[in-house]
Amino acid sequence: MSQFQLLGVFEDESALISAVKAARQQRLRIVEVYTPYAVHGLERVLGLRRSRLSLVCLIAGATGAIVKLWFEFWTMAIDWPVNVGGKPWNSLPAFVPVTFEVMVLFAGLSSVAALLIVAGLWPGKQPKLIHPRVTNDRLALLLEENDAAFDVGRVRRLLEDHGAVEVTERLTGEEVPA
Amino acid sequence: MNHFEFKFRPSQSLIRRLWALSGIGALAWIAGLVAAPDRAWASLLMVSFWLLSMGLAGGFFVAVLYACGAGWAAAFRRVPEAMVAAVPAGAVGLLIVFLFHPELYPWMAGHGESSGFHAFWLNRPFFLARAILYFVIWLAFSGMLIRNSRRQDEDGDMAHTRRNIRISAVYMFVFGLTYWLASVDWIMSIEPEWTSTIFGMYHFSGMFVSGVAVTILLLIWLKRSAPLRDFVNEEHLHDLGKLLFAFSTFWMYIFFSQYMLIWYANMTEESVYYILRQSGALGVLFIINIVLNWGIPFLVLLPIGAKRTPAVLGAMAVVVLAGRWLDLYIMILPPVTHGKMALPWIELCMMIGTMALFVLAFLRWFVRAPQTPVRDPLLAQSLSYHS
Repeated sequence: MSQFQLLGVFEDESALISAVKAARQQRLRIVEVYTPYAVHGLERVLGLRRSRLSLVCLIAGATGAIVKLWFEFWTMAIDWPVNVGGKPWNSLPAFVPVTFEVMVLFAGLSSVAALLIVAGLWPGKQPKLIHPRVTNDRLALLLEENDAAFDVGRVRRLLEDHGAVEVTERLTGEEVPA
Repeated sequence: MNHFEFKFRPSQSLIRRLWALSGIGALAWIAGLVAAPDRAWASLLMVSFWLLSMGLAGGFFVAVLYACGAGWAAAFRRVPEAMVAAVPAGAVGLLIVFLFHPELYPWMAGHGESSGFHAFWLNRPFFLARAILYFVIWLAFSGMLIRNSRRQDEDGDMAHTRRNIRISAVYMFVFGLTYWLASVDWIMSIEPEWTSTIFGMYHFSGMFVSGVAVTILLLIWLKRSAPLRDFVNEEHLHDLGKLLFAFSTFWMYIFFSQYMLIWYANMTEESVYYILRQSGALGVLFIINIVLNWGIPFLVLLPIGAKRTPAVLGAMAVVVLAGRWLDLYIMILPPVTHGKMALPWIELCMMIGTMALFVLAFLRWFVRAPQTPVRDPLLAQSLSYHS
């Protein structure tokens, strides 16, 4: 069953932040907030959980470092020992630069890949904008009815009171007119 | 509103305690002159260089902030500005060493052969002239930055900011060159046969990371004891924590760059430096040096929460400062004591005394101006900053 939604469009970030605060206070369901750039403090007002991207980065980096260290040890000291300047087969200082590079490579690529996967940004993805100007100069707040007490008129007034320049009603999954 | 309302008065008992600690440092030096004169002189070089470097780190930090147009740090810029007060004190200590104990430098005492560029560069008159030149350049540039910043408190003129941006751009370049030469002159030439082209960069990394550590500790203290309570919050500490983390890693990077090339090439005249420092008890300190300067700060400061918690961040600043002491100790003392280890009571007491002296010098300059640049164009941005 499709749900009824209200989209409030704002011109500046302070209006958006105060509207988000009010919506959360009234226990309205916030589906998404669209901004053309990162708005400082918005994640705190929305009460978002911390991103786990840094954890992906840490695990991938550690994996890269360990795997590379083992691989260098295996090639240089076990499988094909080569005498380099009379150094011992297993020479840690010589392994450090490449280990570092592989760690950075793993951590960097995995973070980007994880971001793209989580955000659903695969190649050929068609952009669907909730409002044509949210990538330009408008910020938008999308609310959804969460129970029978959802009063469209009241919520619309709440959005307008906090400085929404435009409020549209829509249904879940409704396509945006191009 | 009168900007003198923003002035800070430290308590007399604090000043007395700091003088007492400095006195302990001075007594340790005098006792050291009797008990182990070589170590006492080397230690004076070490603490004076540390003191000077802290002052220079403050001045350089201010220059970087101006040159980048960094809005975040304007609220506490008076702290690195006042750190420059350590430059004259450190310079005096260094001059005492250069004038009264030239035996610290084998080439000055006439040991060993020297010819060509080596003889041209390392001779007493030129050495002293260079040292004076560095001091004058550093004091002139950082003095100009601070004067303009304070004049802005009076008249609020934007021209001061524009002038400081130009001065900063020149100073960053001049400083990079002179600090590199100074560290080669004063520290590397204790072992004149040994050379490392990355030595200046190595000292720069150590200077800046310990300068950031001192800034963090002073900020936490000044925030708790009121003067900066309304100006500094965890957002500023977070960014300083990032700098501490980044430059601790940078120090490790430079340390390893120097170490690995010497280890790989294994040439007698180069590797003797590390052989001396990796044998016996010094070998343990060699590892602890890496752990303190990079291992612990790196692992502890990785999570975001650690950088925003004053207690954790302050503890890491203390660890980095202890690491800096050990780093200088390992660099300066072994050639003087020929690798023989003794309980470093002279060096430790003198370092504690010097740190107290640093805080005294800092406070002397800090109380002279409002504790925040009241009319800086970037102040508002800094106060509402989110990292």
